[in-house]
Amino acid sequence: MNTLRAKYADEIQAILAKYPPEHKRSAVMPLLYLAQREAGYVTVQAMAEIAEILEISITDVASIVGFYTLYYDQPHGRYHIQVCTDLPCALRGAEDFLKALCQALGVEVGQVTPDGLFVIEEVKCIGACHRAPVFQVQGDGEIVFHENQTLETALAVIEALRQKAQQEKEGTA
Amino acid sequence: MGKMVTLTIDGQVISVPQGMLIVDAAKKAGIDIPVFCYHPKMEPVGMCRMCLVEVGRPVIDRTTGQPILEADGTPKIQFGPKLETACTTPVSEGMVVRTQTQVVAEARRGIIEFLLTSHPLDCPICDKGGECPLQNLTMAYGPGESRFQYEDKMHLAKHVPLGELIYLDRERCILCGRCVRFQSNVADDPVIAFSQRGRALQIVTFSEPGFDSYFSGNTTDICPVGALTTADFRFGARPWEMIPTASICPHCPVGCNLTLNVRREAAAGGREVIKRVMPRQNEWVNEIWICDKGRFGYHYTESPERLRQPLVRKNGRLEPATWEEALAFAAEGLRERSGVVALAGGRLSNEDFFNLYQVVTARQGRAVLYSTMAGGDYVQRYGLSGDANLAGLGKGDAVLVVATDLHEEAPLWWLRVKQAAERGATLIVANARPTKLERYAAHVIRYAYSEVLEKVQSLLAGESPEAQALAKATNLVIFFGQEGLSLEASEALATMLARLLVQNGQAERPLSGLVAVWPHANTQGGWEIGFRPDPDLAHTLATAGAVWVAAADPAGDDPILAQALEKAGFVIVQDLFLTETARRADVVFPVQAFTEREGTWTSGERRVQRFYPAVPELENTRPDFMIVAQVADHLGIPLVGRSASRVFDELARALPAFAGLSYTRLAEVVEQWPLVGRGDLYYGGTVYENTQGLGVRLARMSAGAELSEWPAVEIAPAPADDALYLVPVVRLYDQGQTLVPSHLLQQRMARAALYLAPATAAQLGVQTGERVEVSAGEWAETLTVYVDANVPVKAGLVPRSTGVPLRQPLWVRAQRAVLEPQP
Repeated sequence: MNTLRAKYADEIQAILAKYPPEHKRSAVMPLLYLAQREAGYVTVQAMAEIAEILEISITDVASIVGFYTLYYDQPHGRYHIQVCTDLPCALRGAEDFLKALCQALGVEVGQVTPDGLFVIEEVKCIGACHRAPVFQVQGDGEIVFHENQTLETALAVIEALRQKAQQEKEGTA
Repeated sequence: MGKMVTLTIDGQVISVPQGMLIVDAAKKAGIDIPVFCYHPKMEPVGMCRMCLVEVGRPVIDRTTGQPILEADGTPKIQFGPKLETACTTPVSEGMVVRTQTQVVAEARRGIIEFLLTSHPLDCPICDKGGECPLQNLTMAYGPGESRFQYEDKMHLAKHVPLGELIYLDRERCILCGRCVRFQSNVADDPVIAFSQRGRALQIVTFSEPGFDSYFSGNTTDICPVGALTTADFRFGARPWEMIPTASICPHCPVGCNLTLNVRREAAAGGREVIKRVMPRQNEWVNEIWICDKGRFGYHYTESPERLRQPLVRKNGRLEPATWEEALAFAAEGLRERSGVVALAGGRLSNEDFFNLYQVVTARQGRAVLYSTMAGGDYVQRYGLSGDANLAGLGKGDAVLVVATDLHEEAPLWWLRVKQAAERGATLIVANARPTKLERYAAHVIRYAYSEVLEKVQSLLAGESPEAQALAKATNLVIFFGQEGLSLEASEALATMLARLLVQNGQAERPLSGLVAVWPHANTQGGWEIGFRPDPDLAHTLATAGAVWVAAADPAGDDPILAQALEKAGFVIVQDLFLTETARRADVVFPVQAFTEREGTWTSGERRVQRFYPAVPELENTRPDFMIVAQVADHLGIPLVGRSASRVFDELARALPAFAGLSYTRLAEVVEQWPLVGRGDLYYGGTVYENTQGLGVRLARMSAGAELSEWPAVEIAPAPADDALYLVPVVRLYDQGQTLVPSHLLQQRMARAALYLAPATAAQLGVQTGERVEVSAGEWAETLTVYVDANVPVKAGLVPRSTGVPLRQPLWVRAQRAVLEPQP
């Protein structure tokens, strides 16, 4: 049973409609985003379902997931905390900031916090060099910038997000 | 032939067809340009940069369009500022290529050094060591020392199973992509691919089972390092220890050329054993590929279950006997009885068939082919002829495939038909269910199993687009099988298809004709020699004075035949194993496997090919033709039985189609393209060069009398509305006696099951995994159901050779099996 097709029939139809029927394999990238939105990462099951929809091999789908850095084949945090450590930011202490933030959360760059909420990523320029240390939070379908940060302000942002997640959980429980 | 282009490579002036790549042109001129990612059977990608050469082109005066000349009158040559990849650059007129200059040597040294930055130096324990392109090219062009830090080498997983057949060593992989391209472009099973990027790039598979392709073993041949190895051979032997022997694959009628690699082995008590099966180049048959059944399916020859001594029935029991005793006993049994029936299967060699035929005809007996498919006599008259090669099919030609699933029954034919379609031939696939070949078909003809003859008849009528495509084809090759057909219906099908060739005017053309997709390697050879299938085999066996069975197990295949055999007066069996038939015999002779003896097989394309003895025979066994001759000797019938080549000489004298052939003639070779298997393994892979014979296609027999109107065969109509048409279908990996001992393939072997369309299953009220009882008269079986949308309605598919006694299609009553209470 193709759960992706069952759940997102209309959306998948809309994606497929953008491509000529004989080249429907071209729809693999938008379908992967759909699958990633669903589970936070692309599950093997989802790859198999996409392969079935597009009539290509699952290995071909997996190959695309592997190539692009923004598809995740492992569970990934709900919020991506992306800290820029390019040269201008580094000159304003971004490297120390990143280190301290990792220590405070008890994870390394790329690791997910045990609650599954946060992953810290080291990224290249996000265009706010003069207000470093700077990070952006990607998650819940939006990107939020946080500039002129210290460890304390950053932890406050993280705590707020954690509270939000906690409330949602209790709200639905 | 297209336009020729003249160019100079290292001072040598050569002319090659336009469009040829520099690397191939150099190879033709005997100049080796090293490569890793390039392979002459695949499109170039220019990934590895090993083939960099200096390329110069004549300078053309733009105003006159003429080459500018130097002072000495030679054209002025402009060399590019950088090196070019010889594998992606086509030749052009007046081009000058330098492959031996300092700058080229520098580039090669640099590429090798890069490749070795993280390649392990484990050549002494690597399977590829000794036949490794990277090893060889490093010795030839690489630096003696690396400037990189040993500590910086990447350490990666060394035993990654890509499924249970093929292992990947990630450290050794140089990411040339040959395997990925082979699977995508040649085999069209894109089940391995690159994942990640940069230094993390790696080969992955996500298929279920892993590396799910019938052609997977070929990737280990073309892998230019020891990254891909087969589970069957890895860590088994060093390449230089093994003796290569030419052979032919025993598993299907394609007749792929093989090389058996043999080594004496302590673990086998010092005996010589087969370590691996490799493809041997034959561009007319298998090119440089083989399927995994051929590669891994040889273990039956070394099975401990093999018969090791003659058996004679004494006081109702089979007991060991000496050869002399058994031969005399067999002769005695035959002498006393009239009406001998020889029942021979398609695993026999031509020589075996010939001797057996001589004896039974001398005794006024009948030579019966153990087959449920007819049409071999049509193939004799309307088969391909001369030097015709399927590789010659292209635009303007057509291929028709009827009632067979080539991918399962004869994978190399599937591959070659696919390639013909890719070259532009019109492919028409007719079957009751979808098969993998349909991906490449211009037209698909779908029929209910009972309508196949009418469908083919409508092709003869010539109205449909399919019929018109066939009619206007220059060459037409027709592959036909027996799926869903009774023996009589398959006879009718072959007649119609022959008529189609005649009617379209293609019958006389060499590259047009019928190819029968037989279940065995030498079924066609049986037809050539005079064996014919019997539509009422049970009756024939039951009333025979004596039955002489060779390479067939009727009792194991069908209980009705087992009963018939019980009634036969006297039964002689020649086999590798103690089959159900052998258990019912009066005398059993142990025979030699194809690896232990000489012989020839006739492929479905009527190519007669030699196989050679690779290992010493199992003690106390003899080849079939010799056993037959020795029994004949006791009966006073003089037959040649000492050597296969002498038997073949007799055969060539007796049969017009074989006239002029001899073992020497069959061993002839010509130079083939691409050049493979010499010192330059980096070019074609470890496939063996063919030095022991390409075989010869038999002469087409004269068409003789006008083709009769096809016999009025009606496929038996459904006896009742709810009847199910049970059809045996071929799966490549079945549970046949010649495959089961290859334990490696166990997981992939077909199991006894009943495949039903969703609608049929719903009607019966069953789901996948539940059981259904099917019955017809006394015949009854209970089978596990698999619901499969590809199965036609009102039909039930049962994989052949999985233990279900179903030789021919059968109308059955089906009902959900009531579970018996557990005891």
